[in-house]
Amino acid sequence: MIRLDKVSKRYPNGHYGLVDVSLTIRRGEFIFLVGPSGAGKSSLVRLLYREEAASQGEVYVDQFKLSTLRRGQVARLRRQLGVVFQDVKLLPQRTVYQNVAFAMEVVGASTRDIHKRVPQVLELVGLGRNRENFPHQLSGGEQQRVGIARALVNNPIYVIADEPTGNLDPETAHEIMKLFVEINRRGATVIMATHAKEIVNQMQRRVVAIEQGRVVRDEVRGVYGYES
Amino acid sequence: MNLNGIGYIVRETLRNLARNSWMSLASVSTVAISMFVLSFFLVLTTNLNHVTTVLQSQVEMKVFVNPKVGRLKEISLLNKARHWPNVRHIDFFTKQQAANSLKREFPNQRDLVALISKSNPLFDGYDVFTYRPQAIPRLATRFEKDPIVHAVVYEGQVVTRLAKLSKVLRWVGWVVEGLLGLATLFIIVNTIRLAVFARRREVQVMKLVGATDWFIRWPFVLEGVILGLLGAVVADLVVDAGYRWLTGVAAIALPFWPLASLASVMTQVLLFTLIGGVFVGILASLVALRRFLRV
Repeated sequence: MIRLDKVSKRYPNGHYGLVDVSLTIRRGEFIFLVGPSGAGKSSLVRLLYREEAASQGEVYVDQFKLSTLRRGQVARLRRQLGVVFQDVKLLPQRTVYQNVAFAMEVVGASTRDIHKRVPQVLELVGLGRNRENFPHQLSGGEQQRVGIARALVNNPIYVIADEPTGNLDPETAHEIMKLFVEINRRGATVIMATHAKEIVNQMQRRVVAIEQGRVVRDEVRGVYGYES
Repeated sequence: MNLNGIGYIVRETLRNLARNSWMSLASVSTVAISMFVLSFFLVLTTNLNHVTTVLQSQVEMKVFVNPKVGRLKEISLLNKARHWPNVRHIDFFTKQQAANSLKREFPNQRDLVALISKSNPLFDGYDVFTYRPQAIPRLATRFEKDPIVHAVVYEGQVVTRLAKLSKVLRWVGWVVEGLLGLATLFIIVNTIRLAVFARRREVQVMKLVGATDWFIRWPFVLEGVILGLLGAVVADLVVDAGYRWLTGVAAIALPFWPLASLASVMTQVLLFTLIGGVFVGILASLVALRRFLRV
């Protein structure tokens, strides 16, 4: 379970990313974070994997209490999470296969496990035939899939995605979204910040709307609710 | 750390070294130069210590007895002094024996030989050997207190001065070495920072997918250690060759000068340079990484 308890995030320039946000996310949920650009969606996401720390309040991810997390434990927290970044963050000099295998290498997986697991995940995201390509040889949607494969490869409990369909055409975005549904169906909790109005409306999942750093709406079967 | 981890670390390290080969070369050279200077001071102090010990082992004190003191009194002091602390050995000599040994030592100095043969101006006395050179001054005063003693002569001052010089040199060595060490540190820090900078995205992604700090550090630490060690080994080879040459030349030019043995010099040099190289390498890599690990 992920729980935010009266969390505020104030940046050094005085700007507030989040104000007094309380939110509970149970395991197995599929949750959309929606809201205008700059509303605080990314701030919230970054707090979850501890790229940033809350200024006030407390964030809990399972047994981890993030404000008191020591440096060594940050790595352990992140191993429970699979993060799909807004800017994908692929390593340009490495192939698709290596990019995904990398995430297993750094957590100390054996070569045998890597050889077994990486092709499975690439197959799942539909990149089984692109494993030897480099990122620049792929389309935006394919790159995003590599990022998703990397997030999934260590079987995370929570998959956190920050605008994974941001720069993609609607059709590709739809494909990517289907992938997340599949991931969720297989048991992972999915937390996704997004602008994809059509998809949110269509999926009928929990929607948390954030405006100016505050949670203004939290609906179990929500809609996007903004003019896009 | 399991076997997969070690394979990964070695691969990454070699890749970094190869990618920055020029900067690596610069680092190795800097380490080598600084280690060479360190070795220079080590060779110097080792030799000074060696000379000091040699001199100390030869140190004796000559105690001269007033003229016209009877043999009986001389022998009684001899017997007394034998039991004084720190006295290893005492030889009594008469002024005749002293004259004979002088003649033996300087057979060509005819005037001298003639002089001491005619009317021997020398004294009876004792050669006193001690266990520790530091004990000499105290023993000397003890002898001087005895009314039959005319004078006490010893080479203690040479020894104390040498010891002082070696102390000063050691300090100068440490200071120079400290400064050079700092310079070396900066160069290696820069080399490794280049390697880290080239891979900052990787480091960031590694951290974000759950790599521990140490997992990320190891390849860079190993890189630092390799740079430090290579530099040290280069310096050691130069020092070894140089000292071999020096001892060879000195054996002909200064046969009486007691140079420290190659083995004793090289043990010091190897010890300090290798430890120093590893230390500088580790420290530099940790410093270089600090900023990049804050993700």
